[in-house]
Amino acid sequence: MASRSGRALGLTPQQWIRLRRTVQNAALVLFVALFVWSRRGGWPAGVVNFTMRLDPLGMLANALASRKLLAGSALALCTVLLTVAFGRAWCGWLCPLGTLIDRFSLRRWRRRRQPYPDSWRSVKYGLLLTILSAAVFGNLTLMVLDPLTLLFRTLTASVWPALDHLVTSAQITLFRVPALHSALSTFDRLVRPKILPPDPAYYRYTWLYAAVFVAILSLNLLAERFWCRYLCPLGALMGLLSKVGIVRREVNERCTQCDACARSCPTGTIEAENGYASDPKECTLCLECWRVCPQEAIDFSRHLSLAKQREYDPGRRQALLALGTAVAGIGLFGSDVAASRDHPRLIRPPGARENNLLSKCIRCAECSRACPTSALQPAILESGLEGLWTPVVVPRIGYCDYSCNACGQVCPVQAIPPLSLEEKRQQVIGRAYIDTNRCIPWVDLEPCIVCEEMCPVPDKAVELEEVEVENGEGEVITLQRPHVIRDRCIGCGICEYKCPVNGEAAIRVYVPGT
Amino acid sequence: MHTAGLFCSLQSSLVDLQPVTARRKQTISIGDKLKSNISRREFLRRLAALGLGTVASSWLLNACGIEQRPEPTYVEPTRSPWVPTAVPSATPAPTTVSSATAAPTPTPGLEYPHIAVARGGEPEQLVRRAIAALGGMERFVRSGDDVIVKPNICAGYHTYEYATTSNPWVVAELVRLCLAAGARRVRVMDSPFGSGPEQAYAVSGIQEQVLAAGGEMEIMSRFKFVATDIPEGLSLRQKEIYQDILTADLVINVPIAKHHNLGRLTLGMKNLMGVITDRPQMHAQLGQRLADLTSRIRPALTVVDAVRILLRHGPTGGSLDDVKQLDTVIASPDIVAADSYAATLFGIDPTALGFVRAGTAMGLGRSDLDNLTIEEIAVGQ
Repeated sequence: MASRSGRALGLTPQQWIRLRRTVQNAALVLFVALFVWSRRGGWPAGVVNFTMRLDPLGMLANALASRKLLAGSALALCTVLLTVAFGRAWCGWLCPLGTLIDRFSLRRWRRRRQPYPDSWRSVKYGLLLTILSAAVFGNLTLMVLDPLTLLFRTLTASVWPALDHLVTSAQITLFRVPALHSALSTFDRLVRPKILPPDPAYYRYTWLYAAVFVAILSLNLLAERFWCRYLCPLGALMGLLSKVGIVRREVNERCTQCDACARSCPTGTIEAENGYASDPKECTLCLECWRVCPQEAIDFSRHLSLAKQREYDPGRRQALLALGTAVAGIGLFGSDVAASRDHPRLIRPPGARENNLLSKCIRCAECSRACPTSALQPAILESGLEGLWTPVVVPRIGYCDYSCNACGQVCPVQAIPPLSLEEKRQQVIGRAYIDTNRCIPWVDLEPCIVCEEMCPVPDKAVELEEVEVENGEGEVITLQRPHVIRDRCIGCGICEYKCPVNGEAAIRVYVPGT
Repeated sequence: MHTAGLFCSLQSSLVDLQPVTARRKQTISIGDKLKSNISRREFLRRLAALGLGTVASSWLLNACGIEQRPEPTYVEPTRSPWVPTAVPSATPAPTTVSSATAAPTPTPGLEYPHIAVARGGEPEQLVRRAIAALGGMERFVRSGDDVIVKPNICAGYHTYEYATTSNPWVVAELVRLCLAAGARRVRVMDSPFGSGPEQAYAVSGIQEQVLAAGGEMEIMSRFKFVATDIPEGLSLRQKEIYQDILTADLVINVPIAKHHNLGRLTLGMKNLMGVITDRPQMHAQLGQRLADLTSRIRPALTVVDAVRILLRHGPTGGSLDDVKQLDTVIASPDIVAADSYAATLFGIDPTALGFVRAGTAMGLGRSDLDNLTIEEIAVGQ
């Protein structure tokens, strides 16, 4: 690739670096744009979820765990081919999380210290092997560590809700100035419908996702691209593929051992002890070394051989350890009470079945983003640690909209089946129960029919019974009291969402069943 | 002790700082030469100034805001096209007609019916004929007016055939009439309780027809619901009301006539619940509170869409068996009268409806249909 004139394909190293940064930024913008328009009413579902289908780790783990190959996952082969051709170029050029880690490199605050032992690099292989071993047993819990799902989830459940809150607060404040009314109206007419929800979107534990994300960025304080070097399981998978990568970095005889490349390498894979050679499994093709080299001693040329074995490469022992960890984890999850008895409020999205959701869901939160009412929340402990951050309907936060089937359409792995609206309306995701200890017409002896009014089922799953009761003042009044007709209820939860009783609703949706 | 120590450390740090700032200055100038970017320090300084400015101005705005709140005393709308009459039982004679309709209209001598009912035709025709019978849209719209049409778009579950949302052609024809009468702009809006506005606007079919007619669909902004006093309110004294509904030159209320379990029917007064927040609060004394809300909003024209009415399982519906096609449109400047007439379509005595009783008692309009002039128009013939 690099010629002796210091140029490659007509571009100087400086221009190449600029190109790489542009590509990085564009990929990040595209990722965020696809995120933003994953909301129902945005771009077509088959388009917005393509970032997840590009993820070879997600697709491979899903195929292993669900024992089914999805046609849509063929897209991941593009990434595989890219990696076979250019090594971990994905990490240096495309990965949106990698780009953010680069932009928040925290270089100024990083202390110079001894490089961490190379053996740390094997941690990511350990994670990868554990994910894949667990996937063979049908478990996908550790997919929460996939960089794409992690970033998407953070955007869904932290960044966007916070942004919306800040924008709305600013609008409410500014609306007090009459001169700004038209500007604010214009914003709400033209901008908000495209990027922010008309009603506030709330998520549970928004800080938690932000904290995980900030923690990953903060690892930059220890070493540049700490996450990519030592932890990222997708990076590990790509590292393994890079072992046969074709375009690799080479050091030629002009090298004067000036150490400039080693100091510039963001993944720290250029080492003096190895004659300033690098490991293709760690090199992200960022080209920084090429730019800083005063001797033009670095080439990126084609090879058709296996990369040199390193001591941190995963071996049989590590594979066994990962397998053991996976087996132990399966054992523990399987003996967790969550596995034997459903959490009473474990309401899954329409069409999803508990037993196969856990072995299909890659925890990407696409469905949460698509859900127009924010009813779909990443589960915390409803289905045990095993089901961490899988989608669960929380009716008090949002209801499953009767006119919506977005989650199944957008799911990249069909963990939520793609149902037509007609089919989706038949799905019983839960059942509503009235708490007569809290319900207004039962306890306060005052009229309220909100649950009946809201019930979207054509023949109403909530019926009202007219009763004559004596109120506190001794008057006999006529009241309508709600009852749930169980066979009609589909568990959409709008009754619970709209119930005007403060705090816990007086009508609540629980898992379906007797 | 402490202050002394602090002072010492401050002094020493100042001494320490000096060479640093000197060095910084140099680098800044070099940086300036290389690329004309502002230095980080300067950037931070400006950011801090901006932040302080924002905080200060928002604080100031807060202070101003208290004065800008809606005035506590109710000011009679200067442009109300009708004047509420006294309690109907006290004035049974048809002579009250003039006081109810003709008082503020610019064309004296002409008398319009209280209620115009058009039957048997296409929705657009029904609207045109009913409005024409009331004196044409020019009676309500002045050139350059900012008009809001408020249909019932309760949810995005079903198309208009299911009679859960106002008929798209009825709404669109009103938009067209307003624009033809010289309205500057006509906005159509509601805040659906289900599906969200984008979905509901689209599924109802209203969006398509309104845009074709030259109107705008507005998604109600959260910040425009402002706590507003209701001076005439008996049960409801304050409510968050959508500001534009109060400031628009003309509000046309376009409910669809539907079954509703608490109010028995949802008609014009109930339709106004779409412009407030915290709606369940209304349910406690629904009839009175709807009348209270109406007293503050006072739409100048109510057009009840009874092209298709929903007989059961309202307000959400979902079964065509519950729908009855009547091909009827009821228009009146008197919201109570329009609701009263619409009730008869369901075979319900208007005085059996809590909100009609409350509205009548508050003098918001009349429900004594026998004493009102009602122009019935058979469009089909």
